Amino acid sequence: MIFLCATLSILLSLTSVSLAAELDVTPALDMTDPAALQEATRVLEEEIKLAARPQTYVLIDLAANDILIKGRGVELHHIPIENWSASQLAQVMTAYRLRERPPVHRRKVDPVAGAEQEPISLADMPTTFTLQFSPPLRILVLSNSDGDPWQWTMQRGRMWWRRFIAWGNILRAGDPSLSPPTLDLTVSLEHAQSLAWTVTEGMPFLIRRATKP
Amino acid sequence: MKSVLLSLWSGVMGLLLITLVQSSGLPISNALTAQPTAVDHAVSHTLQARYKALAKQLTQLMPTQPYILVDTARNHLYVKRGDQVMLDALASTGSGTILDKPGDSKEQWIFDTPRGEFTVQSRLTNPVWVKPDWAFIEEGLEVPKSQADRLESGVLGEYALGFGKGYFIHGTLYTRLLGKNVTHGCIRLNDDDLKSVYRLAKVGTPIMIF
Repeated sequence: MIFLCATLSILLSLTSVSLAAELDVTPALDMTDPAALQEATRVLEEEIKLAARPQTYVLIDLAANDILIKGRGVELHHIPIENWSASQLAQVMTAYRLRERPPVHRRKVDPVAGAEQEPISLADMPTTFTLQFSPPLRILVLSNSDGDPWQWTMQRGRMWWRRFIAWGNILRAGDPSLSPPTLDLTVSLEHAQSLAWTVTEGMPFLIRRATKP
Repeated sequence: MKSVLLSLWSGVMGLLLITLVQSSGLPISNALTAQPTAVDHAVSHTLQARYKALAKQLTQLMPTQPYILVDTARNHLYVKRGDQVMLDALASTGSGTILDKPGDSKEQWIFDTPRGEFTVQSRLTNPVWVKPDWAFIEEGLEVPKSQADRLESGVLGEYALGFGKGYFIHGTLYTRLLGKNVTHGCIRLNDDDLKSVYRLAKVGTPIMIF
């Protein structure tokens, strides 16, 4: 009887692994890691709610180092994350709505001038920006400075200033759990601009946390 | 019999443990590692089953028929079925420029291609453009009072696919501008690609724009 149960158990494990491979909706998922599986399950539960509606949404996958633009569960576009750091991520439990998109300088059409106006393009998008969400979550997007010391210094300064403010808030509140989660993402310059272009006001964001360092 | 009972007990304990972990708010990386191996195994099985069920649920939400995907940043339109790309076309999408509405109001037109998910609502052949107010104001012209003065044929190509609020996928006379953000929100294609999209898309075909 024990032998039969053990055989059945092994067969079930193999079946579950092969089925999971067929339904590969979570990249880089270790099916034998309960913490990773639990996190992937939590994200899937949230994603199903988002994918059931006619909308696009963003999944920040810290386990796979990817930002995925998705709709109906389909990956529309992906942006590789080069580096990330975060605080209070244990609080992340739900979908977050973007309060406003990064500011874009739009050119005004001048009927009197008559000439064709220059359209906006990816190059007009910011390369470093902060996204604020409801419920409270702050994401700082930094672009890879590619050896530019001035840009590197500015970006680090901005990142450390933001951390300083966050620590100040924690000290004032006296309870770290009262401080909202924050996430710093470093992507390539083009990808930072692409993300700034893609996000829209009210767009839902999901975060899949990494369970291994 | 004993082992069957043991499996059942492990399963129940596993479910109980998941519930406790989820309600505790503990960091997930620490929550599951300190439990006995037998329970771990049961939890793992329960989680795997739950994960598989959810993954299946998500895949069921994915479009099974061809859908249109528009990348407004890179000005490309794709027709896809699952992972298969059936068409990859250079397009022109919204310029992102703004135009003041006439009068004292502070209202403006913003010439963006809308983002999100839409569906093909109409399929037209030899469409006629009913020029909106902005088309006249942008050129410094008076907005005509007669509807007949707004009609312009031959500028939208042979086909047009409407996806709501006056937005269309249509053809263009300015093919040299394909690949650039130059439109007032509509999506322009060359004649051949427009014909292919028209053939592949039905009323109800999803259009995902990002």
